[in-house]
Amino acid sequence: MKFKLKAGNQILALALFAYAGTSFGATPSTQELQQQIEELKSTVELLGQQVKAGKSSSSGAAASTSEPANKDDISGLRADLENYKYDVQRLRDYKTAQTNRTTTITGSTQVRFNATTTGTSTGAATTQSTARASSFDIPLSTIAFAGNLFKDYGEGHNLDYKVGFAYAKESSTTSVTPTTTTLAATSLFNLQDAYIQYGFINPAVTGLEDANLNLSFGQQLTVFGLEAQTTDELKPAINAAQFVSGLGVGTRQIGLILRGDYSPYVDYGFNYRAPLLEYAVGVTNGSGPNQSDNNSQKDYLARIAVTAPVDYTSWLRELKFGLSYQTGEKNVLASGATVTTPVDGKSERYGFDIYYNHLPFGATYEYAQGRDDSFVTNLNQPASGSNIATTNTGKTGQIRSVGQTLTLFYTWGEQWLKSSNGTGQGKYDDWWPKTYQPFLRYDSWDANTDNTAASGTNVTGKIDISTVGFNLFFAETTKFQVNLNDYHYYNHAKTNYQDLIVQFQFGF
Amino acid sequence: MKKIVNKLSWLLGALTLLPLLPQPAQADEGKPTEIRIAFSSAGASGRPLAGGSSLATTHLHAALEEEFKKDNIKIKWFFNVGAGPATNEQFANKLIDFASHGDLPLIVGRSTGLKHKLILGQGRFGEIVFVVPANSEAKTLADLKGKKIGVTKGTAGQLTLARVLEKNGFTERDFKVISLDAATLKAALATGDIDGAIVKPYDLVSRGVAKILFKVSRDPKLTSISNFWVGEEFEKKYPDIVQRVVTTIVKEAKFSSEEKNRTELMQLWSRQATDTYLDYVETWKNDKLRERISPLFDEYYVASLQKAVDETKRFKLIRHDVDVKGWIEPKYLNNALKELKLEHYWDEFDKDGNLKK
Repeated sequence: MKFKLKAGNQILALALFAYAGTSFGATPSTQELQQQIEELKSTVELLGQQVKAGKSSSSGAAASTSEPANKDDISGLRADLENYKYDVQRLRDYKTAQTNRTTTITGSTQVRFNATTTGTSTGAATTQSTARASSFDIPLSTIAFAGNLFKDYGEGHNLDYKVGFAYAKESSTTSVTPTTTTLAATSLFNLQDAYIQYGFINPAVTGLEDANLNLSFGQQLTVFGLEAQTTDELKPAINAAQFVSGLGVGTRQIGLILRGDYSPYVDYGFNYRAPLLEYAVGVTNGSGPNQSDNNSQKDYLARIAVTAPVDYTSWLRELKFGLSYQTGEKNVLASGATVTTPVDGKSERYGFDIYYNHLPFGATYEYAQGRDDSFVTNLNQPASGSNIATTNTGKTGQIRSVGQTLTLFYTWGEQWLKSSNGTGQGKYDDWWPKTYQPFLRYDSWDANTDNTAASGTNVTGKIDISTVGFNLFFAETTKFQVNLNDYHYYNHAKTNYQDLIVQFQFGF
Repeated sequence: MKKIVNKLSWLLGALTLLPLLPQPAQADEGKPTEIRIAFSSAGASGRPLAGGSSLATTHLHAALEEEFKKDNIKIKWFFNVGAGPATNEQFANKLIDFASHGDLPLIVGRSTGLKHKLILGQGRFGEIVFVVPANSEAKTLADLKGKKIGVTKGTAGQLTLARVLEKNGFTERDFKVISLDAATLKAALATGDIDGAIVKPYDLVSRGVAKILFKVSRDPKLTSISNFWVGEEFEKKYPDIVQRVVTTIVKEAKFSSEEKNRTELMQLWSRQATDTYLDYVETWKNDKLRERISPLFDEYYVASLQKAVDETKRFKLIRHDVDVKGWIEPKYLNNALKELKLEHYWDEFDKDGNLKK
């Protein structure tokens, strides 16, 4: 082993050795001892200074990598942190929109161009000199606020809310006929959704294998069929199926709706959940949005749907069959009468639907039937055109209306996959998952199935609309849509025509 | 009916226009235009970054981009916030070619028909930490009986939890096990809405909102193996490309296994910010890098995979059988080890996780 003393220690050793040598020679006096102690002290002090100097010079070379943070460094860091905290607080106070509860703001707007082979003046000023064959329009714009009033992380008994408003252009030809250019240029901005929802069982929190059960109270979409419950962002075709407006099932209603499911089939390998049975029951005014009940009776809604209990990779994935039913009272008015005494009449809706969406293939089919009381002249005759009374006859028949819609679509891209949509992918920058979706639709609507004649008093109101369309989904909440529609009237007095609609629908 | 056919005929005619629409990227037979690789994770706030594996190092070093630059083949990375199940969904919809995966979602995916080949190991061993809210009075797991335990179901964490519970004489039924994603799980621990979870604890502990109930520093029978696979279709079509991908990752595995790179690695991995630098230092301090990073298909890997399959079935997490036979394809790894002269670089472990003599 090699033993080596440092320079300072060598000097100290020599000094101690020298004093030790003198101490063995003769007995020193007290004065000499005092002097030796003083000399030793000064030597030690000198060595101490040398060691200190050596340490500081050697540590200087490595200071950049190994010197620990001192109090000044920490003070500096703390100052930076305090500045950051102040800046965040200031930005929050002055530059950030705030709410009392968690809120997500969403919205959707459509900008559209349409061209038709037959000119029209509907929805514009009736004083226009010529019918228009094309137009640029803003048919829809919505804004909605949604969030939690109470959030339960453990059990999912959340109390949620939604308030939404929608703009629509003034195009009414019944209640408010736009007879002047001024009125035609106005728009409607109405409360659309306004409800709170309580989660009794919330599988999103407690586990996908748990059932779902929640209750919504307020103004909301009802539970009829597929298309009537689908928001505009998700509909493949630009125009809704005719039965939705024809039967009024797409209208928001005010009331209570209980939605739930039972026995979900869960494929955890994909976080795929297919409830064997979905159900919904509700009670509403039945008079539509933003108004009190217009009669003494309530409307009742019910829907059940069965989904194939299969794995995500099965070709039967997302195959669903549904049945819908609504019943209620409506005010029966005499057709064409200027002043009427309404009476309570029955109004029923029946629906059957099939949904299949196994990317890339998808299909939906809906059959909807309406049965509405109407004054008739002869109870033994069907409620067709000639038998429908224009006065209160005290006799009511039933008008039966039927709609059917078949949509076939082929979809490729990433938009509709949970793994690849905006929140499913980790990204620094904006994420534009693109999806392409050509589709075909056949949509038929007959407002009164007893009106079967091609002309005359019992002339049919049946219309078929065939559509070929293409959707390009991009920028996550935005889609470009092209629809080519062919309108076929069974009433020979009406002219068949085609129109082309090109539209951007963008959301936020 | 005839009327309907006549009406639809012009629509059907329009279908002939479909070929004019944009189609998914096509490639020639020799090489793909892009290589699509998924991580079953994402960084904090959705950062497209990962850490803790040789694949993460490969991504951070842009090694595959460099390897395939001359061929003009683009490397497309996916970072799935939805973890392993999201990776399965992507693969089922033909959106990825390669992926790293924890054991449970990998096995569940295969049980439902996903066809892939395991071509590299991605990680093993490590610690397991069971965390409870800071004000919890629990002293042992038994004190939590009947209470709420959080886990992200469908991920490897669910299988790890089942193993930990079983080792302590419990099953999931003894607790109320609820499914939460990683961010919600930590928030629920902080608010006390759940009573415990297996989670990396250090950020919660430093915030004073949670504490460690117990820690298992290293138990090879509890921890999961991580895996790297290639889709069978891609493998059959482009075996040379697969080889180059594997060889490149093995090179990065060597870099990630060198102790001299430990500090640099942990700084690099912590860019994803879900786990901080100190988290990595703390959770990796008891292990040699080369043991945890090992890409080998040794006895331990094969036995762990088989054990995970058996457990997945025993815990009733799959409905169909999974056969391990033919699933592991070692030739790409073996070629890479030979080419890089790394045949004896990584130690082999026996089925119980002990170093083979």
